[in-house]
Amino acid sequence: MHIRNFSIIAHIDHGKSTLADRLLHATRAVTQREHRDQILDSMDLERERGITIKASAVTVQHEYKGETYQLNFIDTPGHVDFTYEVSRALTACDGAVMVVDSTQGVEAQTLANAYLAIENEVELIPVVNKIDLPAADPDTVAMEIEAILGLPAEDCIYCSAKTGEGIGPLLDTICEQLPAPRQAVIPETRALIFDSHYDEYRGVIVYVRVFDGELKVGDRIRMMGTGTTWTITELGRNTPQPEKVDRIGTAEVGWIVAAIKTLADVRVGDTITHDKHPAAEPLPGYEEPKQMVFCDFYPATADVDSGKRTDFESLREAVEKLQLNDASFTFEVQHSEALGFGFRCGFLGLLHMEIVQERLEREGGVEIVQTAPTVTYKVNTTQNGTMEIHNPMDLPDPSQVQAIREPIVKVEIICPDEMIGDLMSLCDGRRGIFKTQQFVSTGRQMLTYELPLAEIIFDFYDKLKSITRGYGTMDYELVEYRVDRLAKVDILVNGDPVEALSLICHRDNAEVRSRNILKALRKQIDRHQFEIALQAAIGGKIIARESIKAVRKNVTAKCYGGDITRKRKLLEKQKAGKQRMKSIGSVNIPQSAFLAILDQGDG
Amino acid sequence: MRHDRPSGSTAAEVLARVQSTDADGTTASACVDALYVHVPFCMHRCHYCDFFTLAGKDDARSAYVDALLAEASATIKAMHFAASPTVFIGGGTPTYLEPADLDRLLGGLAEALPVAPGEWTVEANPETVTAQVAAVLAGHPVSRVSLGMQSAQPHLLKALERQHDPAAVPRAVDHIRSAGIDDVSLDLIFGIPGQQVPDVHADLAAALAMDPVHLSVYGLIYEPGTPLRRRRDRGKVTPVDEDAEVDMFTSVQQLLAGAGFEHYEISNWAKPGHRCRHNEIYWTNGNWWPLGPSAAGHVSGTRWRTIPRLKAWMDQRTDGLPPVVDLESLDADAVMGEVLMLGLRRLGGVPNDTIAAACSTPKRGKHRATAISTHTAAGLLHDVDGHLALTRSGLLLADHVISDLL
Repeated sequence: MHIRNFSIIAHIDHGKSTLADRLLHATRAVTQREHRDQILDSMDLERERGITIKASAVTVQHEYKGETYQLNFIDTPGHVDFTYEVSRALTACDGAVMVVDSTQGVEAQTLANAYLAIENEVELIPVVNKIDLPAADPDTVAMEIEAILGLPAEDCIYCSAKTGEGIGPLLDTICEQLPAPRQAVIPETRALIFDSHYDEYRGVIVYVRVFDGELKVGDRIRMMGTGTTWTITELGRNTPQPEKVDRIGTAEVGWIVAAIKTLADVRVGDTITHDKHPAAEPLPGYEEPKQMVFCDFYPATADVDSGKRTDFESLREAVEKLQLNDASFTFEVQHSEALGFGFRCGFLGLLHMEIVQERLEREGGVEIVQTAPTVTYKVNTTQNGTMEIHNPMDLPDPSQVQAIREPIVKVEIICPDEMIGDLMSLCDGRRGIFKTQQFVSTGRQMLTYELPLAEIIFDFYDKLKSITRGYGTMDYELVEYRVDRLAKVDILVNGDPVEALSLICHRDNAEVRSRNILKALRKQIDRHQFEIALQAAIGGKIIARESIKAVRKNVTAKCYGGDITRKRKLLEKQKAGKQRMKSIGSVNIPQSAFLAILDQGDG
Repeated sequence: MRHDRPSGSTAAEVLARVQSTDADGTTASACVDALYVHVPFCMHRCHYCDFFTLAGKDDARSAYVDALLAEASATIKAMHFAASPTVFIGGGTPTYLEPADLDRLLGGLAEALPVAPGEWTVEANPETVTAQVAAVLAGHPVSRVSLGMQSAQPHLLKALERQHDPAAVPRAVDHIRSAGIDDVSLDLIFGIPGQQVPDVHADLAAALAMDPVHLSVYGLIYEPGTPLRRRRDRGKVTPVDEDAEVDMFTSVQQLLAGAGFEHYEISNWAKPGHRCRHNEIYWTNGNWWPLGPSAAGHVSGTRWRTIPRLKAWMDQRTDGLPPVVDLESLDADAVMGEVLMLGLRRLGGVPNDTIAAACSTPKRGKHRATAISTHTAAGLLHDVDGHLALTRSGLLLADHVISDLL
């Protein structure tokens, strides 16, 4: 039997999931009754956001020229945050269908994913979708695909996933043009893990593509990266309904259940082999998930004193539960002077961070206070060591810091011509280095910039969207860690540094950033009976200052018989307010001040 | 805070609560040091005022006096009074009663009291004090009149919505003195929008020219729920700058000290021997009984307020006593908090043995002790002849200090 392993790559909303559904229909894998919109997206959140977060695989049969083809359709997460997962899913494929919306054209994510496919030596079939729409301009879009990706315009398949037009030819092209999977190269078994899900009843479900040998129920298997061993209790594939099988042979795709309790035991990209007859070398390309963006989650309790413990516990429960489902975010307990106990969490990217927060709140039922995201810095110390820090608090004393390196990303932006100027100013203002400006089609261009990741994690995307009135799209990938004139800015309240407020920023922006922070702080801290000096300093040198005037008068003029109870209650409220605040030296700082600062971005 | 929801309690229950039964079956109530009588009627409700006052209800005044006297007779006979208790008739504007009603009220109260009062104050607005009204006051054991002067300058009186012209004040003082009452106290307000430090000097000079024995000088308060507060919050009224307000207060202190007045409470000054005893009962956490609607009372740690609605107060009597709201009995810890809150308003302070007791209560004692040493070190509290008192700078930050001692 012929096997074709492929995936669909697309920009958000270009119709990937609808096309996948249509393909399943066309192969009669799904009856009308079972049809739910976008079958492959299994989480509510995915369906709501119109994006696919976790990959799955579906196996269907298709007749082509009188022969039966087993089509293994591997879904990929579309977003750049999950680049590594996408690349593993693509590695499991031999080809990919690249979908472009005929009313929108090539977008930044289309490119990012296409590049990934090309890097992974995956054959691409370009598809121009949504040709049923009145605004469709498939020829122009096909030309865009040729201009940018060098795929001949005449090779593009025009289709409408909605009406079914062009679906038959697409299936035929998949069978005809995509390469057959490679044959086994070694006798021992090697299977690539390209995804995993957590199931409450069966534990972890591991999705694999077998490259060499085979897997059978009852096999004792070993994960070559983590070294753990398990016994296979179930094998199966989705057709799309789960269907148990006895074996998964070379070049086939399916899932494994092996009483694995947590996702942390399974690493996407790892190689499974037999415990008794292991392969000598794993399949190439395994990497640990890399967290790029960090922020703190605290329970959103107004009253820091009471209830802190229980709210923290429910947050911990939610975080731990979520990690069973998503091993790519990390967490460790964090204690903030102002916000109490919480977690410092690491994410693959910004979208990943948002998704985790939403899932914690939705699935875990906890309300969360999220601090401003920061990136990971690599610090060269005078002891010739290198340390990674993702919290300004952890930066060593300036005297021990030789250099601070920050992550630089290559950003690709596709947008209408007339907004290019404004976008370039935006990038220049964020320490961007212009790389290229490229024609996409009449009226649209692609800008490439190198930007520090730290400069885009606050509000860059929002700004981009507002400059381009929603038409601009962007994608980014990590280029390298680069040394720059970065410095830790300490915020001092009456001379005492407040660690939770310190930040790392570029020396040239430090004054402006600091001043914004001090101004925000000034609004949040109540006046005291003495003047409060607010200062920002780099290595002891003051770079900005503000002050909060002393209260000279805080006295109620009248207190007679009828005023006593009310007055006492008023003062008790004042007292309770004071106790809720964090004392820095003799200055009381409310929790809101810490959050206002963290919300600052680059002001 | 408004108290329109009756708690279901009545003054009769309060009375029962503050009474105890002796072994021989006789009922003894706690000793009452003072009587506060509220007269809510006013010609006009000033926009800074947050008292229970009624303008445009002049028709109710006569029946009101009847109801007050009924309440007085029902209450007073059940109470045990200290020797020489004080009486304070406040408002509202007590002198806005028709002279005949005022006469009835004063006479009725004097008759109901089992002991002769040691001090009897009546509050008055200058424009209401005629020779006839002064004569009515002097015809009863009224020993003090407290006049709402507020300012001597027309534009500042207007800013406060006061109805009198400045000349009405010396006129009223003359009527009172001619009728035979010597103890005249004047109320002044500083920090009025538009007021400057020299204005305060001028107001004080005008007040001192009338030779009062007592002065109450208040910084204007933007009380919650008042029209003035709303106007400030909407930016229609600009409060006086804080530095200017501090300068005003300091000027008042200096000028009055120079004029031979003793500063004895945050906002009160008296010639020797002329402090307001009634108010000192409040500040030393004494016991007093209230008469009239929305009048607060306190007996031995129990506080309450009569219902703040005229009709309910008049009609819903139980054993001749009106409903009450906000009834609470404080525990020992909270009582000590109030003792400090009130006592530290007095410049004489709180006796050291009381302080020691407040610092050894089970819940808040330790916290208080710490706060006292912190504020003493900061120069806001000091020891005066075996008393703990606010310092000169502490007076200006009294709320800051006191909130830590509750």
